[in-house]
Amino acid sequence: MAGSALRRLMAEYKQLTLNPPEGIIAGPINEENFFEWEALITGPEGTCFEGGVFPAKLVFPADYPLSPPKMQFTCEMFHPNIYSDGRVCISILHAPGDDPMGYESSAERWSPVQSVEKILLSVVSMLAEPNDESGANVDAAKMWREHRDEFNRIAEKIVRRTLGIPT
Amino acid sequence: MRSLSISLLSLTLTLLVIANAYYQKKQFYPSVVYITKSNPSMAVIYIQAFICVWITGKIMRKIFFGQLRTTEFEHLMERSWYAVTETCLAFTVFRDDFNPKFVAVFTLLLFLKSFHWLAEDRVDYMERSPVISWLFHIRVLSLLLLLGSLDLHFIQHAYQSTVSKGASVQLVFGFEYAILLTVVINIAIKYGLHSVDLNSETPWDNKAVFLLYTELVMGLIKVILYFAFVAIMVRIYTLPLFAFRPMYYTIRNFKKAFSDVILSRRAIHNMNTLYPDATPEELQAADNVCIICREEMTTASKKLPCNHIFHTACLRSWFQRQQTCPTCRLNILRNPTNNNTRPAAAAPPRPPQPPFMNPFFAGQNPFQMFQPPNMDNHQPPPQARPAEGGADQTGPPPQPPTGANLPPFVFPPFPFVPFLPPPPMPPQNFASLSTEELQRMEGNERENVEARIQCLRNIQMLLDAAVVMMQQYSTTVLLSNQVPPMAPNATPPPNVFQTNNPSWNNPPNQSDTPKVAKVAPTTNAPQASPSTETPESSVESSFDKPTTSKEGMSQDLSQDPSQVSQEEVIRRRRLQKFEQQTVETE
Repeated sequence: MAGSALRRLMAEYKQLTLNPPEGIIAGPINEENFFEWEALITGPEGTCFEGGVFPAKLVFPADYPLSPPKMQFTCEMFHPNIYSDGRVCISILHAPGDDPMGYESSAERWSPVQSVEKILLSVVSMLAEPNDESGANVDAAKMWREHRDEFNRIAEKIVRRTLGIPT
Repeated sequence: MRSLSISLLSLTLTLLVIANAYYQKKQFYPSVVYITKSNPSMAVIYIQAFICVWITGKIMRKIFFGQLRTTEFEHLMERSWYAVTETCLAFTVFRDDFNPKFVAVFTLLLFLKSFHWLAEDRVDYMERSPVISWLFHIRVLSLLLLLGSLDLHFIQHAYQSTVSKGASVQLVFGFEYAILLTVVINIAIKYGLHSVDLNSETPWDNKAVFLLYTELVMGLIKVILYFAFVAIMVRIYTLPLFAFRPMYYTIRNFKKAFSDVILSRRAIHNMNTLYPDATPEELQAADNVCIICREEMTTASKKLPCNHIFHTACLRSWFQRQQTCPTCRLNILRNPTNNNTRPAAAAPPRPPQPPFMNPFFAGQNPFQMFQPPNMDNHQPPPQARPAEGGADQTGPPPQPPTGANLPPFVFPPFPFVPFLPPPPMPPQNFASLSTEELQRMEGNERENVEARIQCLRNIQMLLDAAVVMMQQYSTTVLLSNQVPPMAPNATPPPNVFQTNNPSWNNPPNQSDTPKVAKVAPTTNAPQASPSTETPESSVESSFDKPTTSKEGMSQDLSQDPSQVSQEEVIRRRRLQKFEQQTVETE
């Protein structure tokens, strides 16, 4: 019998394959290693990221689901809650106890109840509504707050780039 | 591609050097001497040797590991850099022995170390992949055997050399290989556990516990080895700086393993004692899927006080990290005393509090945090059993509220005492608790005893205050009955109101202890009694304007007493009203 983390990841993979949520595809990069996943997220409609398809990588710890996975976009992103290297900063991905920004309540943190699907849905809503208080990318947060037009322009450029359309 | 060209370049250079030497000397021995004497040639030979080691490493890696995964490679690179730096530091200690052989031996050590790391990563990978082939098992087993025997051999070698020739750099090697041997043993145990788990039909719940204890024991052995090594090195040579970083990490890991074991033990203990096993009916009623592992619950499930059900093993590993319910984040350590009553989630409204508490804490409910959420069993609330107040505190004694977070008190009828810890609510039913449980709840530590005494003091204070209030009240009643027929001198009756009334509104201006307040009404009473001979008119004047504020009353003394009988009626009415108010607020 395989380890519990592996079994749970296989169960989640099965679930995501059978009932995929809209606009999200996710699965292991290589089925020999279930602890590294790739996800494709489409930009939510009606936002500046609409139409984009953003690839991301999820790396699960050995003690998943007790500890949260790490998520990193593998394409270029410009967003207040995404570090410039693509790492995603949302509270659902932070284990209670460590609080990088010092403001999240433990109620919105990681717990085994969460799942890959919930993480990805949170990321979609994060794309739609950035939280400019958590400045993973301070430049983006500032621009989003003060020069929304310019932010939208950059986002559109990124969307075009992910689709392979020349800008 | 680049590595291939580098190898080729180095090979050509070496061949050139050898050819050159042979061309010049024509014979084997003189050409060897020629090469060793010439520094550039030796440099080329060293580089060639290094590349040979590197190629051997690659071949071995191919044999034992196949393709390395990205994370394995990253780990390897990261650790190698540290190891190289530490080796260079070690060279400084043994600079007298520095020679090519010495460097070669250190290179061999690094080489073997890297294989230990890779083996460790590879065995951890067993938990991650659903496909573990026979090749994997053969590779891991042969590698572990090889590494273990090599380690043993080198330890023996170092030991013999130290015994026969005295302390030398062999001490370092002996120690390093001993550490590596513990690593091999650790990996082997892990491998064994993982294989047993993989081959068993049902999930093996206790594997995590075994792994934890392995980690603990191995950590302890490593820590002892490091300490022994540092002590020996300090005595013979100097402070081994190069051993400090690994030593620090070893100690840290050991500490972590130790606390993990403690947490795990506590979690298991809580699991076994506090939470009931979920019954089949409950499993049927609920979703029947453990939210932690997303698998069906058939056996070995536990129910938390919040009614959520999980696998015992899943819950245990989660409690090792956090003592909350995974679903609703209820802190399960808050209420460890009672587990046979209904859960807090379905708790009915809190029973009313003893009435005498209310004036103090109108703003908030001070008992919120002291009442165990699962201690509700539809009993009438106890009639203030404050004597057992301390018994409820299983945690620390209640924090006395500081000035900042004092609840706004509305109508304290007696001098307010600044430090008033909220007396905790006693449990409502002691019948369901055994004697041991009661004793545990009560506690016999100093804090608990102090808390109990503090609680009793508070009660005394409240009683004192109540007495004062009663006295004031009776004085007022007495006066209201006395005044009309007797008509005392002008001052006392207004005095009663003047001295007392402000104290109802802003008590901090008044004296701070109940004792002083207790004196105040008694001094007023004798003053009131001799006032019988004063003309009635002047007394009535003080109640001249019924609608004026209380401050205004003292100024009314000089007013003309004209309509005595009418004012008499108004005054009585006001007193009645006042009485009613006092009763209500009490």
